[in-house]
Amino acid sequence: MNPAIGYTAIVGVALVSALIGFYGLRVSRTTSDFYVASRTVRPWWNASAIGGEYLSAASFLGVAGLILLTGSAALWFPIGYTGGYLMLLLFVAAPLRRSGAYTIPDFTEARLESQWARRVTSLLVIVIGWFYIVPQLQGAALTVRITTGLPSWAGALAVAVIVAVVVAAGGMRSITFVQAFQFWLKLTALAVPVVALLLVVGGGEPPAQLPPAEAFPASAGPGELDVYRTVSLMVALLLGTLGLPHVLVRFYTNPDGVAARRTTVIVLVLLSVFYLFPTILGLLGRAFAPDLAASGEADALILLLPDRLVPGPLGDVLTALVIAGAFAAFLSTSSGLVVSLAGVISQDLLGGSVRGFRIAAIVSTIVPLLVALATESSGLAGSVGLVFAFTASTLCPMLILGIWWRGLTSRGAIAGMLTGGVLSGAAILGGPLVAASVPAIAPFLEQPAAWTVPLAVIVTVAVSRLDRRGTPAGTDAFLTRLHVPER
Amino acid sequence: MRVTAPRSAGGAASARPLRSSGTDDPAGDIAAVYVRSLIGSQLRLAVTVAVGFAVATVLFVLVIALVPGLDDTYLAGVPVSWVLLGAGIYPLVITVAVLYQRAAARNEARYRSLAEHE
Repeated sequence: MNPAIGYTAIVGVALVSALIGFYGLRVSRTTSDFYVASRTVRPWWNASAIGGEYLSAASFLGVAGLILLTGSAALWFPIGYTGGYLMLLLFVAAPLRRSGAYTIPDFTEARLESQWARRVTSLLVIVIGWFYIVPQLQGAALTVRITTGLPSWAGALAVAVIVAVVVAAGGMRSITFVQAFQFWLKLTALAVPVVALLLVVGGGEPPAQLPPAEAFPASAGPGELDVYRTVSLMVALLLGTLGLPHVLVRFYTNPDGVAARRTTVIVLVLLSVFYLFPTILGLLGRAFAPDLAASGEADALILLLPDRLVPGPLGDVLTALVIAGAFAAFLSTSSGLVVSLAGVISQDLLGGSVRGFRIAAIVSTIVPLLVALATESSGLAGSVGLVFAFTASTLCPMLILGIWWRGLTSRGAIAGMLTGGVLSGAAILGGPLVAASVPAIAPFLEQPAAWTVPLAVIVTVAVSRLDRRGTPAGTDAFLTRLHVPER
Repeated sequence: MRVTAPRSAGGAASARPLRSSGTDDPAGDIAAVYVRSLIGSQLRLAVTVAVGFAVATVLFVLVIALVPGLDDTYLAGVPVSWVLLGAGIYPLVITVAVLYQRAAARNEARYRSLAEHE
């Protein structure tokens, strides 16, 4: 591939992001901005902004790569990423908007009236955010390596520097409009190549490298699904979405709970449309580029496919578009996460000043950068799936029980979050070591959500019941606030 | 630049007070009953929809797996079973979401008319 295409696309997206960041200095986000915006932001804009921030490297590159690598089992990832917003709609969207909380630690403190519960929640949010940024940086490393030939660390470092500078300078997320634009950019960057490639392939040139029966064997088809892994993955993705730190804050720009629900329904429509495109590219890859199906390399499928099928200037344009979309995905998701993390870190540890926020933004970027440089990507969709499993085991039980069960106490919540965190963390980090020697338990360690989430819920409920201090004094008033419609 | 809520966010919860039962204020008792029944009906609705979605998804997957010939019937070169799994669940998700949104708004309207007719 011609490296000039890669450089042009990457530098272009980086420049636009930096410009937006510096422009954001003047319109920087304050608490009151949210209140002002809340009266003007329409649900469609809001939903586009949520989509723009949510669609990460895992969605943009990882889904197609995994379809190429594993077949129809990978089709469950976009179903789970989308279905997560259904659970969000059912259990948290309207109540969380009405709670008045900006962040999950704010919610915990308001509901449980406990500084310790707040601290544990903040710690989990920071860990989740860090491990969610790592695959974004790995995606950037892969993209830069494949498209320009530079070493892997260059891409991770470039994205980390851009994000840290932009967020510390003004906060890229200052304007809902920017994130909304990101969604439509990512959608276009996949939809246009997909349409072009389908037209080319439909003409019969070039011919498929594998006949359909070999590209889509029944052994990798929907009939052969691994029940435990699929169920556990679904538990992780459906429930993990609720606790993602950069998702909640977006709901705040909805004027009320009813609008929060409407926004979520629109998000579901936007995600459903978006995921059709990586799915089609993954299926095309199985027939036209089966040689790319190698662990760690398959994620580059979307970047390489246009040039393979349409050599020449048209292919170059399509490739540049896809690279720009991929970089937009890394930048928007990472900066959204860094803003959320920096907010939590600066408020809980550094006193909430602007200077504290800037220091926190840099810390929030350096830690995942070091992790990304020290580890090999083992597939973007899979790594993000594990972060969802951790989130589902820690923050999700606390959030859902906090909203719907008046019996939840701060001790119960802390015990449940720690149980879920230790169990799922141990399974994720230690799993690969143990699984090699005891293959029988490998699925349970590689996809832990199906047992860690129920255990976290049981511990939360049991400890809350045994907690002699009972529920906080303001629980009834707070639950009323969550569920009674505004007006 | 503030990115999180003021520390005293919890204080705002008193904006719409709910008096718990056992006070000497009968109107407050009734209001609390209405709120509890609203929370109960919203929770039942959410759980019903979630379980319904799960059951529908499982049935859909069973159909794909058990109906013979879906792996050998091709649509634009892709087996129908793959096409169904890749694209079939999204319409279900959106339908379920729209139905839930309407039902939740109905629950809230019912609560509102009860609370106002007091």
